[in-house]
Amino acid sequence: MALIDLIKEEIIKIPLVSNDKPEVIRELVQILVDAGEISDFDAVLKSVHEREDKQSTGLEEGIAVPHCKSNAVSTLKLAIGIAPQGIDFNSLDGKPSKIFFLMLASPNQSGPHVAALAEIAKLVRSKAFCNALISAENARKVVKTFRGD
Amino acid sequence: MVNPIKKIMVYIDGTEQSVTAAQYAICLASFSGAELIAYYVINTRAIEDLLKARIFFQDEQNEYERDMEADSKRYLNYVNELAMKKGLSIIKKQGRGSVHREIANTVDQEGIDLLVVGELSRIRSRRDEFYDETERAIRMVNCSVLIVKDQDKVWEMYESLG
Repeated sequence: MALIDLIKEEIIKIPLVSNDKPEVIRELVQILVDAGEISDFDAVLKSVHEREDKQSTGLEEGIAVPHCKSNAVSTLKLAIGIAPQGIDFNSLDGKPSKIFFLMLASPNQSGPHVAALAEIAKLVRSKAFCNALISAENARKVVKTFRGD
Repeated sequence: MVNPIKKIMVYIDGTEQSVTAAQYAICLASFSGAELIAYYVINTRAIEDLLKARIFFQDEQNEYERDMEADSKRYLNYVNELAMKKGLSIIKKQGRGSVHREIANTVDQEGIDLLVVGELSRIRSRRDEFYDETERAIRMVNCSVLIVKDQDKVWEMYESLG
């Protein structure tokens, strides 16, 4: 499954309402529960935290890509959260994170998982793209931005 | 006229679509008598990119590379079993590096007549970043390409193969 296939309004939340890192991780996982993509909230939350404890996925320039392998999913899952106000996510440059990509994969799907993460890495290199996401008014606009409409 | 397809290569990437492509390729090889290669590429290029982007850390890079190595063996063995069930022997082949480049190189090196791949995304994006590795390979290879669609129909075709 390609990354573009995962992007739909149901897995996008804008704006995120959290104020700190633990809260935003919960909020992202909850997006997937609400969208009917996952059922075991606690198992996924634990896996995401275990990965974050090793090294923060808060990158530079307002991007965060929390990700993990989890037995609670059988296919790739993606949630996107946008916080124009910025949330402290223990990022590399110390700046608040504004665009969050939560990516989950089954342990036996490392190939598609790596490919999808690499696509995200390519996308967020574009400042214009990131600015368009941050200024999007709603999930629909975010989907349009991804599709290049 | 001689059989135009003597050597088929199916690209396996661990997705359901690629397994369906393998079933179709097995049927095609069985009917045509062509040699069949199942090819999996460990995308070390993407892993390196993720390390550079700091989405991965060093230990994680190593872990994912090991996972992909294991996935490669598992999926190639699975396709081999699918072929053996139909009395066909296949060649399992593994590559490492940039997926589309490795596919294109292997097509040339092996003298492949037909590359078989799984269905691509039906959602179109005008963003170049969304051209996935399979799509890039399709554009790059020097042989004809068959994109396999309709999982149920292919499964029926595979099952009905003697």
